[in-house]
Amino acid sequence: MTKEEANGATEEEQQAQSKKALKKQQKEAEKAAKKAEKQAKLAAEQQSADEDDFAKDRYGVSAMVQSQQKPDRALVRVEDLTPQKVDQLIWLRARVHTSRAKGKQCFLVLRQQQFNVQALVAVGDRASKQMVKFAANITKESIVDVEAMVRKVEQKIESCSQQDVELHIERIFVISQAEPRLPLQLEDAVRPDGDGEEEGRATVNQDTRLDNRVIDLRLPKTTTSQAIFRLQSGVCQLFRDTLTKKGFVEIQTPKIISAASEGGANVFTVSYFKSSAYLAQSPQLYKQMCICADFDKVFCVGPVFRAEDSNTHRHLTEFVGLDIEMAFNYHYHEVIDSITDTMVQIFKGLRDNFQTEIQTVSKQFPSEPFKFLEPTLRLEYTEALAMLREAGVEMGDEDDLSTPNEKLLGRLVKEKYDTDFYVLDKYPLAVRPFYTMPDPNNPKYSNSYDMFMRGEEILSGAQRVHDPQLLTERALHHQIDLEKIKSYIDSFRYGAPPHGGGGIGLERVCMLYLGLHNVRQTSMFPRDPKRLTP
Amino acid sequence: NMALRELASLEKYLGLKKPNKYSTQGDKKVPVLQNNNAPPLVGLVTIACHLVKEAKRPELLGDGAEGRAVVQQWLEYRVTKLDSHTEDTKSILKDLNLYMQDKVYLAGNQLTLADVLMYYGIHSVILDLAVQEKEQYVNVARWFDHIQHHPGVRHHLPPVVVLRNRLYTSRHH
Repeated sequence: MTKEEANGATEEEQQAQSKKALKKQQKEAEKAAKKAEKQAKLAAEQQSADEDDFAKDRYGVSAMVQSQQKPDRALVRVEDLTPQKVDQLIWLRARVHTSRAKGKQCFLVLRQQQFNVQALVAVGDRASKQMVKFAANITKESIVDVEAMVRKVEQKIESCSQQDVELHIERIFVISQAEPRLPLQLEDAVRPDGDGEEEGRATVNQDTRLDNRVIDLRLPKTTTSQAIFRLQSGVCQLFRDTLTKKGFVEIQTPKIISAASEGGANVFTVSYFKSSAYLAQSPQLYKQMCICADFDKVFCVGPVFRAEDSNTHRHLTEFVGLDIEMAFNYHYHEVIDSITDTMVQIFKGLRDNFQTEIQTVSKQFPSEPFKFLEPTLRLEYTEALAMLREAGVEMGDEDDLSTPNEKLLGRLVKEKYDTDFYVLDKYPLAVRPFYTMPDPNNPKYSNSYDMFMRGEEILSGAQRVHDPQLLTERALHHQIDLEKIKSYIDSFRYGAPPHGGGGIGLERVCMLYLGLHNVRQTSMFPRDPKRLTP
Repeated sequence: NMALRELASLEKYLGLKKPNKYSTQGDKKVPVLQNNNAPPLVGLVTIACHLVKEAKRPELLGDGAEGRAVVQQWLEYRVTKLDSHTEDTKSILKDLNLYMQDKVYLAGNQLTLADVLMYYGIHSVILDLAVQEKEQYVNVARWFDHIQHHPGVRHHLPPVVVLRNRLYTSRHH
């Protein structure tokens, strides 16, 4: 190529380039013009929309409630929406359970715990179509403030708890918005476990529920979780009330302790400044010290920590212990009678005052109603052995009951005596803790007892050794370091009354009373070897 | 050797005065009975049938052509399915439970060799079942209890407890 040709080529190129550049510029200008036009159009539309939206002050997402104001406004409870309130204009705050647009209307179900009510936003003189659209798009579980007219309905609304009225919404504001994707769908979580598999619909597995406890505990339609924990609250209350009436005093015991109370294997260690301490496995030692301090009868309600690596349906690493200890006059059966009477009062209290909760739970988790006898059935260990042997079980006289044998025994007792609750008395001494009082007539047995509900153990108790000499002997026999329990033994040196007691697990009692099958269902935020959250 | 003990028990049940001397052959220790001048009898079922004939108790092999065929079927089942462990125990129990729904004995209306040998063969399985499982296979348990109580049958085997009353009535347990 010659220089001229090269130059010429460059010139051509340059010309071509400037042509290209021009074209490009033109195109870009056109594009920009189009965009501006579109924006102007949108703005115009928006303005006209705003102008058309006569209801724009009656709905929207509220600013976060940061305690900016104190409006003089009473909020009505959903459960109080009865025919008495018809034709009243009321405010209420509830969760959006569902919202569904249908043409010029939006149907919502608003929910507060186990109560829900149908609500309606309809295009009319109070609501615009933008408002209806807004209502239909509110995400499930969002909390809303609603001003509405209470209206009577001709036909009962079967699917809601408030069946005789519905709300005609005039104002609706979102107070707290829920994210659109919920970790679990409430309809699925409420479905009884068996049904889902058959009809191909999802059920929510336990781990998902426990990981998202905040939503799982809301379970609206059947409010199973709410019912379970209301019943649990009832158990605590009945426990306290019954014992208080019997003259017991509630005490608080320390949970950070210097020595493992039930044996070294299953105890959690915590660092304590420059040394270590343990989390209490039971309030045993402190209950007894209170008896020696002449409190006569005590009980305590508090956490119990067991570092047992058991992944079963009935073990938690942390649970709530309901513990009893009392001085008695001549025979530890006075203690058994007191405990069984307390349990019976709890069962009666639940049966008489918590039927709604019991029925709610059994809709999702069907079971036989809990049966008990008055007076409570008490069997001796040797009798239980005979029953088991008759059923083909081979067991030594001093063997402890394995869990399968306990369950089989529960079945045999149910079949023979028709009760889900009974006491097993006089356990072999060899399988009980060192502080258990031996039987006076037979050194192989002890003054100790377990109590069972639906064939599973709920309480372990005994007459305690209150004599420091015998206590020392028993501790040595169990190869326990006396130094570690010196202060415990010392508490019996200055006159100690004969006494006994026992402790139950709140979660296990609730689980068994309701006939549920996993203790995690009755523990609000359960702890086990694999779970530390939420 | 379990097979030899079974044959000894069978002899006692049949009331045979003179117990036979058995030998075994092969790894599986199959029982063998010398048969005077005839060729030796080999195998539990073959020998058992021979003993029944020797004791002049032909009814134990079944009543009529069909009855005899059913007895033979169960004797074969004992050796090919039960002893050989080719089938999973649960499915054997399930099949047997269904079969025994409307029958008192395995074949016909009286005790036959089929009941006796099936009882000997299935004993260890039933011994290990939990109370709940025995309730689940209620017909097998009923038949088993009936046979083990039949005079003269049990001999070398320990009794297995079969409860009369149902403990696991509802589906919640």
